[in-house]
Amino acid sequence: MQDYYKIVSSSILYWFSQKKWFVCSIIFALIFISLPTPIGLTIPAYHSLIILFMVFILVTSEAIPFPAIALLALVLQVLLGVAPADVIASSFMNDAVLFVMGSLMFAIAIVHQGLDIRLAKIIISIFGKSKRLFLAGLMVVSAVLSSFLGEHTIIAIMLPIGLAIIKNVDSSKPDGKNAILLVLFSIAYGTIIGSIGTPSGGARNVIMINYLQEFTDTERIDYWGWIQYAYPILIIQLVVAYFVLQFAFPTSLDNVQVQGYKRSIAKSNSATNIRHLFSCLIIGLIITSWFLFNQELGLGIIALCGVLIFMICGMVPWEVINKNTNWGVILLFAATISLGFQINETGASSWLVERFNELTSSFPEDSSFSWSFMAILTGLTSNFFTSSATTSLLGPMAIELQPNDISFGMSAAIASGFSFLTVVSSPTAMIVYSTGLVSIKIFFRVGLLMFSSSILILYLVSKFYWVTL
Amino acid sequence: MNILIAIGGRKYSKPTLDLGMKVSNSFEASTTIAYVGKKISQFSEKDVSIVHQNLDERQLYRPGVRTLEWAYDFLKSKEYIEEEKVATFNDNLLIDEEQSRMRVLLKGKHSNKINLILRTGEIIEQLRSEVQDNDHDITIIGGGNNKGMHHDLVQFIDSSVLVVKNYSVKKQYKILLPVNNSKGSNKAIEIAEQFAKANKLSVEIVTVLENKSSDDRLKKILERTEEKFSNAGIKNTATILEGNVVKRIVENAGDDSIIMLGVSPKNPIIKYFFGSKPVSIAAQCKCPVLVAK
Repeated sequence: MQDYYKIVSSSILYWFSQKKWFVCSIIFALIFISLPTPIGLTIPAYHSLIILFMVFILVTSEAIPFPAIALLALVLQVLLGVAPADVIASSFMNDAVLFVMGSLMFAIAIVHQGLDIRLAKIIISIFGKSKRLFLAGLMVVSAVLSSFLGEHTIIAIMLPIGLAIIKNVDSSKPDGKNAILLVLFSIAYGTIIGSIGTPSGGARNVIMINYLQEFTDTERIDYWGWIQYAYPILIIQLVVAYFVLQFAFPTSLDNVQVQGYKRSIAKSNSATNIRHLFSCLIIGLIITSWFLFNQELGLGIIALCGVLIFMICGMVPWEVINKNTNWGVILLFAATISLGFQINETGASSWLVERFNELTSSFPEDSSFSWSFMAILTGLTSNFFTSSATTSLLGPMAIELQPNDISFGMSAAIASGFSFLTVVSSPTAMIVYSTGLVSIKIFFRVGLLMFSSSILILYLVSKFYWVTL
Repeated sequence: MNILIAIGGRKYSKPTLDLGMKVSNSFEASTTIAYVGKKISQFSEKDVSIVHQNLDERQLYRPGVRTLEWAYDFLKSKEYIEEEKVATFNDNLLIDEEQSRMRVLLKGKHSNKINLILRTGEIIEQLRSEVQDNDHDITIIGGGNNKGMHHDLVQFIDSSVLVVKNYSVKKQYKILLPVNNSKGSNKAIEIAEQFAKANKLSVEIVTVLENKSSDDRLKKILERTEEKFSNAGIKNTATILEGNVVKRIVENAGDDSIIMLGVSPKNPIIKYFFGSKPVSIAAQCKCPVLVAK
């Protein structure tokens, strides 16, 4: 009996130790609910902010599975009277959610085609003259492709190329260690930077487009319009990143085997040529459609069309897509977008902005201050909370700061793509970290330099270039 | 008997593997060597999984497999395992067994039952799950200075736990065996006897008298244990210490000691919040400590 009691006690303790943040979030929520509603805030608006707080704790701590967080957010919105069930259900699915689903599936279909070796051949033929040029090429190609196809797709394709050329580098020597880090960071920074370039580069971009359309009277920003805003930042960031990495990881690159890798992939089977050609045609078709029909069809539907074509042509089985799609993330984005809508609809975001303005009333009346605060806040939050979730929750507040100025919303979305500080901030960072070759400390140290310069670049471009558009 | 050896980076895992295999060979146990990879955020777990599948297809070892390969080669070089048929690690296969657990299928026959396991996630959670699913009797893990981890290991892992701290492969060790009237202490005596016999180590049996009420009982246990070891032909000494248990054992343990003691019989909830003597000893000593359950 005593042993049984000890086993039960131990199991309960273990559950508490694993779920302590879940328990804390519930306790915090109960305390906040029992407090009087702040002046100027309706009860539904107050409750929506409590749910936001809970979601923030649960997502950053990962105390319970993401699908559970998503369902909890939905259930609480109805139970706490934020909005009726029908309204919550209708805000649960929109083009941004379809885009998250479509882009994740499209990425799986593309990666399944094994395009990395073909891509490596192209990069070597263009940039293979020197090792440093090759690394610059890896970074540029990663950025350009990631801007259209998303970072999770491109890191999956590019990482095997990077790991292949550093396969025989001795990491115990400083020069070798730096060579490994330089290669991995070149690919990682290329894909991270690239993801801000077009709406299809990341779900956060699509979420912001939807918010701008819903919450402002400005003209809807289309695919080409986004590129005009974001690509100059991307190009400047790439140049800065190249020099930051050369400075952070000085190396002779002696053991990096570009030519050896070239010889090994030259022997690879060319029987997949037609499959690769067809894959490229489908990818080209989808990107062209994003340019031409994004207003009429929506980015999500076009991404899903790509998946559909791959599946109908038998180029990727449903089992592969089903196994590799992160359904939990799709549910979570849907729930956070729904919550973001309710935060705006209930007036909670306006209330937060008013409080923010009250707090900053002693500062000079310059929109640069609120811009900087918002950009740094979204940039930092996205490094702990991931970019898309940050945009879905903080996006409405960023827009509310200057409803008639598109640059606030755009800056929030772009700054949330600066996931240079932590390894949990983006799939790219996590994938590079999972190789075991990059430590959290190194990622943060180099990332801090990159994050600061990126915020500065964003500020300068928004101040001097965006006003001309 | 099943033994689990958890390894991390190559730099710190040699002593853990060496002592772990000595324990394993003492019991002729089936041994699982596990590498627990970095915890992957739920946001990126599928993306990471796709990349790892890609790395497998390109024959670029996924993270952790190289560490297991190094562990395998280390065990061969130290003759802890003998292959009847020469097979290199490259010939082996990686089998996805369940969520976050992969096994390296070793070809050829081996004199020992060796399993090489790759897991990803939070270390305590993964080791707990490995122990529960595969009924491991002893979990062996490298030391380090993470006192919180020692506490969690002893608290949440349902097996005896050996924390390998400051162990040198070349040094001659003795066993320091604090005994008392708990079930865990009986288990520690069993393990110490088998390990000392197999490795020809001397044993220093001690009991610490904190209050007079239990003095006679502890003295009897000490005598019984001394007799047991003498009958088994194990060189031993028996000492009675007085004072604070943790302080006296820590003072008595040298760099060349391997402490083997029983888990505290206290309620798990009290242990969680207020700690326990074995956990304090494991945290304060600068030598390997086995907490038997």
